[in-house]
Amino acid sequence: MSNATADTLLASTRRHFLGRGAGITLGAVALDGLIGSSIRGEPMAPPRQGRAKRVIFLTQSGGPSQLELFDHKPDLVKQAGTELPASVRMGQRLTGMTANQKQIVMPSRCAFRQYGQSGATIGEWLPHMGRVADEICFIKSMTSEHINHAPAMTFLQTGHQLPGRPSIGAWVSYGLGSPSRNLPDFVVLVSKMQRPSDQPLYDYYWGSGFLPGRYQGARFRNASEPVLYLQDPDGLPLAVRKGSLDGLSELNRMRAAQTGDPETLTRVRQYEMAYRMQSSVPELTDLSAEPAETFELYGPDSRRPGSYAANCVLARRLAERGVRFIQLFHPDWDHHSRLPSWCVARCRDTDQATAGLITDLKRRGLLDDTLVVWGGEFGRSPVGQGDWKSIEAGRDHHPRCFTMWMAGGGVKAGHTHGSTDDFSYNVARDPVSVHDLQATIMHLLGIDHTRLTYRFQGRDFRLTDVHGSVVNGVLA
Amino acid sequence: MVPFAVAGILLVCGADPVSFTRDVLPILSDKCFACHGPDATSRKADLRLDDATSARDTGAIVPGKPEESELLKRVLSTNANTHMPPAKSGKKLTPQETELLRAWVASGARYEKHWAFVPVARPAIPAVRNQGWVRNPVDSFVLARLEKSGKTPSALADSYVLARRLAFDLTGLPPSESQIASLARNASATSIGKFSDELMATNAFAERMAWDWLDAARYADTDGFQGDADRTNWPWRDWVVNAFRTNMPFDRFTLEQCAGDLLPGNGPEQVLATAFHRHHMTNGEGGRDPEESRIDYVIDRVNTVGTAWLGLTLGCCQCHDHKYDPVSQADYYRMSAFFDSIDEDGKAGKAAKPYLKYQSQHVARGIEAGQRLVDERKAAESRTRAEAMAPFTTWLKTARAHVGAGKRAWQPANPLRAESVEGTTLRVVDGFVVASGNNPRQDDYKIVFRPSLPWVTGIKVEVLPGEHGVGRGADGHVILTDIKITARSSAKQQARDVVIATAVADFQPDTKKHGGYGNVRDTLDDDPRNGWASFDRDVKEPRTLVFALSEPVQLDPHEHLVAELRQRSTMGDRNIAKMRLWATDQAGEAARTLATAPIDELAKVGSGEIPKKLENRLFEQFLATFVPHRQAAAALARAEKQLAETKAAQSVDVMVLAQRKEPRSTHVLVRGVWDKKGAKVEAGAIPSMAPWPKNTAPDRLGLARWLTSRENPLTARVVVNRLWQQCFGAGLVRTPEDFGLQGDAPTHPELLDWLAFEFMDSGWNLRHILKLITTSATYAQSSNVSAEALAHDPDNRLLARQTRYRLPSWMIRDITLADSGLLNPAMGGPPVRPPQPLGVWEDISMGRNRYEATEGPEQYRRTLYAFWRRSAAPAFLFDSAQRRVCEVRFPRTNTPMQALALQNDPVRLEAARALASRTFINNQSDTEVVAAMFRRILSRPPTPAESAVLVRELVRAKTAFSNMPDAAGKYLNNGTFLAPASIDKLALASRAVVAGMIFNLDEALSRE
Repeated sequence: MSNATADTLLASTRRHFLGRGAGITLGAVALDGLIGSSIRGEPMAPPRQGRAKRVIFLTQSGGPSQLELFDHKPDLVKQAGTELPASVRMGQRLTGMTANQKQIVMPSRCAFRQYGQSGATIGEWLPHMGRVADEICFIKSMTSEHINHAPAMTFLQTGHQLPGRPSIGAWVSYGLGSPSRNLPDFVVLVSKMQRPSDQPLYDYYWGSGFLPGRYQGARFRNASEPVLYLQDPDGLPLAVRKGSLDGLSELNRMRAAQTGDPETLTRVRQYEMAYRMQSSVPELTDLSAEPAETFELYGPDSRRPGSYAANCVLARRLAERGVRFIQLFHPDWDHHSRLPSWCVARCRDTDQATAGLITDLKRRGLLDDTLVVWGGEFGRSPVGQGDWKSIEAGRDHHPRCFTMWMAGGGVKAGHTHGSTDDFSYNVARDPVSVHDLQATIMHLLGIDHTRLTYRFQGRDFRLTDVHGSVVNGVLA
Repeated sequence: MVPFAVAGILLVCGADPVSFTRDVLPILSDKCFACHGPDATSRKADLRLDDATSARDTGAIVPGKPEESELLKRVLSTNANTHMPPAKSGKKLTPQETELLRAWVASGARYEKHWAFVPVARPAIPAVRNQGWVRNPVDSFVLARLEKSGKTPSALADSYVLARRLAFDLTGLPPSESQIASLARNASATSIGKFSDELMATNAFAERMAWDWLDAARYADTDGFQGDADRTNWPWRDWVVNAFRTNMPFDRFTLEQCAGDLLPGNGPEQVLATAFHRHHMTNGEGGRDPEESRIDYVIDRVNTVGTAWLGLTLGCCQCHDHKYDPVSQADYYRMSAFFDSIDEDGKAGKAAKPYLKYQSQHVARGIEAGQRLVDERKAAESRTRAEAMAPFTTWLKTARAHVGAGKRAWQPANPLRAESVEGTTLRVVDGFVVASGNNPRQDDYKIVFRPSLPWVTGIKVEVLPGEHGVGRGADGHVILTDIKITARSSAKQQARDVVIATAVADFQPDTKKHGGYGNVRDTLDDDPRNGWASFDRDVKEPRTLVFALSEPVQLDPHEHLVAELRQRSTMGDRNIAKMRLWATDQAGEAARTLATAPIDELAKVGSGEIPKKLENRLFEQFLATFVPHRQAAAALARAEKQLAETKAAQSVDVMVLAQRKEPRSTHVLVRGVWDKKGAKVEAGAIPSMAPWPKNTAPDRLGLARWLTSRENPLTARVVVNRLWQQCFGAGLVRTPEDFGLQGDAPTHPELLDWLAFEFMDSGWNLRHILKLITTSATYAQSSNVSAEALAHDPDNRLLARQTRYRLPSWMIRDITLADSGLLNPAMGGPPVRPPQPLGVWEDISMGRNRYEATEGPEQYRRTLYAFWRRSAAPAFLFDSAQRRVCEVRFPRTNTPMQALALQNDPVRLEAARALASRTFINNQSDTEVVAAMFRRILSRPPTPAESAVLVRELVRAKTAFSNMPDAAGKYLNNGTFLAPASIDKLALASRAVVAGMIFNLDEALSRE
């Protein structure tokens, strides 16, 4: 079947599904392969054109410290060594790691510098970020509801703390599909690390939950096969593979003529897409044609395949090829101790590459319609973990306030939204919940987060549950 | 879109009068109950439309008088302020729905209980016109509805289709040739019945049934959260298989799994059964309150009972009263009380008590199999050792000559240049790297060098004193937090990582005394909080560190090595003053120890006789480079490890249920938050569903009896619906997880009830129901569909045909193995790890969990026995349940990723090869070969047109392989199956390609 025919079939089936009025029962077995499991769908709003066409989500897993990176609290030095006032703490829950110690204030372990016209303050461990400060829209008033990693990260990714719901990338893929014919809609890149991380990156962070499996993120691995089973088997001549595919398609069509099952034609299309991916993916991941200047921009680590920096280069290449949702994961931001070595190490992994990515997108004209999002599942406490005076002290988890930032794709450049109190313990102004953030990302993509729903177990689910409002203050 | 809605309604209603449960309740539930339903807290205007009295008393409904009913007025209102449902709800009524509401109110607005909450009665078998088509009562129900819609059933399926359908549905494996032939001779109802019985008597049947139950039970071999530690609950999986093997009645099956620990006179098997309620994920994250985790587990059990037995979405009630179904939040926590006093404390990993120490009878077979593999490989290892003797003699001669010419184990690396990241000045002086100038708190030295060796197996770093000592800082000491080696090419932009396997130092201080710095191994983990240091020795003493590479590195002409020595310590100020690098090409111990390398000892010997001890060392070094031995030794080591692992499974801890001595007091949790305790509740079942069985204590035994009591309206319906789903690809209720108001209504309500009643009457006999279904004429229909029929009933709600759908991926794997003859039908025992691409576990866990694929015949076990890691499920599965929460519906979607796996997974390639290797008999022609493979996979002969395409591809493959001399050999190396050496490689490879094609046909992947 020609691609055009297959697409028409897919499109008509999708309309078909969208067109069914609510309350009418379906059990679309024959259509399952094309659309999903049996669905009683609210007609989905046709998405309006969003400011962003795609998202690059630079996920920093473990809870980066806002106090060392972005949320400058110079006056905290005066409070150093004193107990956090009860009026600030307000009985906030602690993890078992610090619940039994005194809550002693520990000021930032590093100096801050001011950058650009916006005058943004950024910690000295991120020297490269300063260069792009004027492109960034900081949200210093993020809040989360969860204080442990897995629930908090699950919440950030899926809008709910327990596994089982679709990830944000899956929702976007479901809602918008992809303009790319040869690559998946939703691609995930995980940094290759030497050190076993204490926070595994569960594959459900990019899963499709109850949405059909085709919407789940495709993780491109750092291996000779970026996609599992991508390579033709050793020794299989190309002409034979091509011949087999043609033969398969002929035989499948013969059978389809007899069974009348449209699903068979979908299978043909599935195999054709697989075949296209066999050339498009290696072409994408092969950085050998990138000029030296690219690697100079993203930093020396970008030459090491699988590093965060190399993944940033890949993210730009994916964006160029129209992939809708690109998500990087960089682990090991869980700095309970030794900020000057541990946190610095993660800053060094990411700083130049992140800044390089923004610069690169900008000069290629991609930043206008690419939304870059940076952040982790929560922040870190202004209270020292361990002896606050010791160089070995760290910080415990802190969901009450933390910093995330966005750039490009319809957000204000050189802007800071929201603020925290003098301790960076509570939000002082314009709190942004995780659901708000999700609603805003969806909005920038042209999706009304309240209307993109999926019926499962008798309920219309959405990414933002029953919460979330678009943060108008960050919109350009 | 409207025509479809109309068609849908007509399809549902036929010419019947409006029915409350079928037509009206779904509308009220979906559009109104969120604000006017059972949930008291979100109720608006004190109006309950789920309650007849409230609806009447408030005037919302005036029976018989739609025009006076506020409900209709509001629904029809054009005023945005009064219109219902309100715009902001996003809900809208279609004109058809409004009409249904009007018609219902006009006809008296009679309320009825939701169909699924009415106890099951045996419906009368309807009369049909075409009695000749009917094989058993199932057909009467289906045909009656078809006749009412003016439709006719499809023709009988072809006998081979039927044979495959039965075998797939009941065993998950293909039918045998004799089974296909026997059904071809006689496909009568009796013959099918005998076939069903035969299939249901097999172990394969029990394994097939177990798969779906494992999905429902969210069974997995790891914890799921933080670290994703392994657990050993697999004996429970064997318990399930055994229960299906012995056709344990479902009420007993329920009782043992819910309360086997409480059963009077129980044994270990009954306690083992209760592991069902321990398969939830467990979270041992540091700093997490174990009580919060424990509450999560209790909640998970209630939700699982809700889905697996009751078909209710109880999870909603964790936070509030159910918005649609008559289940209150208090009901929910009453249910939770059954599971609240387990003797557990919310811990995970190896501390997830209570445990049952269990010895599985299935392990002995595994040990035997493992021992056989070890014995085979031990013999192979000895053979290669002997084979190495002759080449060793030659090698030794050459080595002596080289040594005589001045060759030594370590060669100075002669750096080309050295640079720092943070500003230290590094100069290369006579091969030494010397630091001067700035002395930053932390710095990394990058040393570029190109050893003039054929390959490199190790790097030596000499840390040498400068002015004050080996370090430049205040105390003259050095810390090396990490070392990284990469190979960079001047012709390429990308570098490659050179992996270091081991690290040794001539001295290392006690790590604990120096803030984590001491152990040289820690320089390999990319963690700046640890590393090697020179503490506890004189700072003027030189130090030596040796790093062995995990693979010898060969540099291409444009490549050089970069060693990056990082000093990123927490305290800082420990940069190296002076250093020198060495490289070696010696295999074996030379790069792993600081001892004098064997060839350096050889140099000392000169031309004298080599002492025996040295000769042995040299031989061991040679063996490390002698490929046949290296491979054989590695294979033996893997087999030994596998055997040790199986032996360790002889006695395992299984997480089970046990009551704690002091029962906990259970509370409603306000908004579902674990530490916000509300009113105290006592254990009890959901009163709106069924009464508590008389004279039964409120414990888990009672719960099991309540679940399987005749008065319980749900369990029997839910179970037979899943059996129907197993035989038709979709249930009579298309939402098997939700029989509540928001779920789908059954397509054939009377049939569902009839089967449910029959199920209970038969003593909860699963095989009895499966036999009824599989011997019906409805089941035996063809699944072929005309365009017209597809347009009329795309979802096959009328069952005027069978269903054609893609097989689940686990079944595809099992069928592939069976077709090829590779399948190892052994039952039970610890999980195996079938081969999957390298790195799937490692990437997810940053190397914490390594996937070591099972070798030998055990790798070909059924997928049921494959190890299930929750953070990374088996890579060869698609659309499978996630095994995180209870799942009873199996989605089917299409992703190109699956097409790639089905074509390129080595197990599929070796299966194709194994199958092809069986066609080398009697000099068959191409056409005969193609036909034989086709029949084997598809249970039917190819048509001439199909045969022509396949023969064409066979010829194409032969030509291509003969034009590429090495290709066939390589192609035959995918996977581990070895065909008899007598078979011509080129012919085998070509036939394997065609077998692979047939394996990838839609028909081979489908259940028709």
